Amino acid sequence: MTAGSAIASTMRVDEATAAAAIRVRGLRKTFGHTVAVAAVDLDVPAGAVLGMLGPNGSGKTTMIRMLLALSRPTAGSVELLGSPVPSDAGQVLPHVGALVEGPGFHPFLSGRENLRRAAAAEPLLATAAVPGAVDDALARVGLSAAAGRRYRAYSMGMKQRLGLAAALLVPRRLVVLDEPTNGLDPAGTREVRRIVAELHGAGTTVLVSSHLLAEVEATCTHVAVLAEGSLITSGPLAALLDGDAPLLDVATPDVESALDALCSESVGASAVPGGVRVELIGIDAASVVASLVRAGVAVHEARRARAGLDELFAQLTEGDR
Amino acid sequence: MTVAQPDVAGRGGAPRAPMTRLLRSELRWVLYRPRTQVALGLLALVPVLIGVGIVLADSPGGGLLTQVAGNGLVLPVAALSISLALLLPLTVTMAAADALAGESSHGTLRGLLLAPVSRGRLLAVKAVGVLAVAVAAVAAVAAVGVLTGIVLVGGADGMLTLSGSELGPGSGLLRVALAAAWTVGQLAAIGAVALAVSSATDHPLVVLAVTLGGVIVFGVLSALPALEWMQPLLLTTGWRAIVDVLRDPLPFGELLSSSYRAGCYLLIGLALALARITTREA
Repeated sequence: MTAGSAIASTMRVDEATAAAAIRVRGLRKTFGHTVAVAAVDLDVPAGAVLGMLGPNGSGKTTMIRMLLALSRPTAGSVELLGSPVPSDAGQVLPHVGALVEGPGFHPFLSGRENLRRAAAAEPLLATAAVPGAVDDALARVGLSAAAGRRYRAYSMGMKQRLGLAAALLVPRRLVVLDEPTNGLDPAGTREVRRIVAELHGAGTTVLVSSHLLAEVEATCTHVAVLAEGSLITSGPLAALLDGDAPLLDVATPDVESALDALCSESVGASAVPGGVRVELIGIDAASVVASLVRAGVAVHEARRARAGLDELFAQLTEGDR
Repeated sequence: MTVAQPDVAGRGGAPRAPMTRLLRSELRWVLYRPRTQVALGLLALVPVLIGVGIVLADSPGGGLLTQVAGNGLVLPVAALSISLALLLPLTVTMAAADALAGESSHGTLRGLLLAPVSRGRLLAVKAVGVLAVAVAAVAAVAAVGVLTGIVLVGGADGMLTLSGSELGPGSGLLRVALAAAWTVGQLAAIGAVALAVSSATDHPLVVLAVTLGGVIVFGVLSALPALEWMQPLLLTTGWRAIVDVLRDPLPFGELLSSSYRAGCYLLIGLALALARITTREA
């Protein structure tokens, strides 16, 4: 599948080349006979927030590792911010912040000392600016109060936050977050969303991988769906969500009478658990609800069913595996 | 491309973190970690134990230890010689194991490579860190050895050599310093080989097992008469040379050849480590 074209084709070719923060062509990675990533093409426009969706083992992390020059592709090419990777990794990686495969820190050092150590290796950070950058990053992820405690005493959520802080030590042009909300409580999850939104607001391109659709819907402008190493689909979130005929899910106990009422108005509908699913062709949601109410059907809830991505993702994650 | 800040060294346009900052950060990490401090503390006990043992015993043990009684400046040399058999290699190997395999198992190697620190520079920084542990370990044994020798054993007024002559306290200390420097050289060779193993695995324990296993196997091989032809190849063959610093005049032959051999191991170890680290998946 020549995925990625969905994003790129909306722009002129030269524009796409200039504006792509990530550009992947024919990317492939095999471990022995196992194909982890199979011929993926992907373009991420600068300034986008790309949600990389996929069930566990779909090749998300392998792909991210190749993007960041941690792992060599078996075939294919990667360009980050216009520079080929891994050959020009030294040029481009200083502008890239990443949290890959969970946070990695030394247990015997405090959170602040761990970040100082990470900051010492950051090429774009002047030596005099290191302590300030470390304190800023800690404040940004809400770890200022726990900065002096040893990493080994951190909770899972605090460890994850520290990993996030390391990715934010320097103002970045691209931030790659591999499952950033792992181990976070709802408040922590909201904070990650806030940070992603801040980065987006500042014009940073963000790549977030997740196996949670809700996560991606909440934060992303673009989506790429991976399954078994192949890119199933990719494009702007809105386009993918409304890809098919729009559907309305109506929650009602009176399924039979609802179907009758809709049938008499020649509106396509089918029974689903807990209610009916209505095809919004030639009729809008308000009219559907109005006619149901006129027919005496109790409507508990009506909401747009996001068929395209929802269904696709449900099939991927819940299908026969 | 954002313009790099003024104090950032650059080559070929790629911004790089200043090397001194990387080294300072590495040395802090290496020397402040609890296991290094515990190891250094225990190593410092070796000369104290020997000193106490000699003072308490009616007749000193065999070998080099017979020379220590009433001859304090021989104590640090004896302590270095005894520690070199296993304890010093263990300490250095531990540092090398943590340097790459340990960082990899903590996931912190990834962070350094993502910063990015180029893989060549990373190895250089790590090699300096391991060398720092070797120097600190030898310094701990030698310094505490000198102190213990003077305080417990006595004879601070000079060193009685194996050849029977007497050296002044100044040249005595110089001999101790020579023994220490030679020991650091041998440990650097072990550290380089351990770094090569460390660059090839994610498990620090493997580094410890392979390197110390190697040291022990070398010891066994050098004891087999049928394998005498192998002697010049084995690192451990030259380790008796440390006793030469106690002779007068100083015979440099063995000290030099063993140092030369250590240099070969050092180069081979670092070359293997570099070859492995540049292709390694992190």
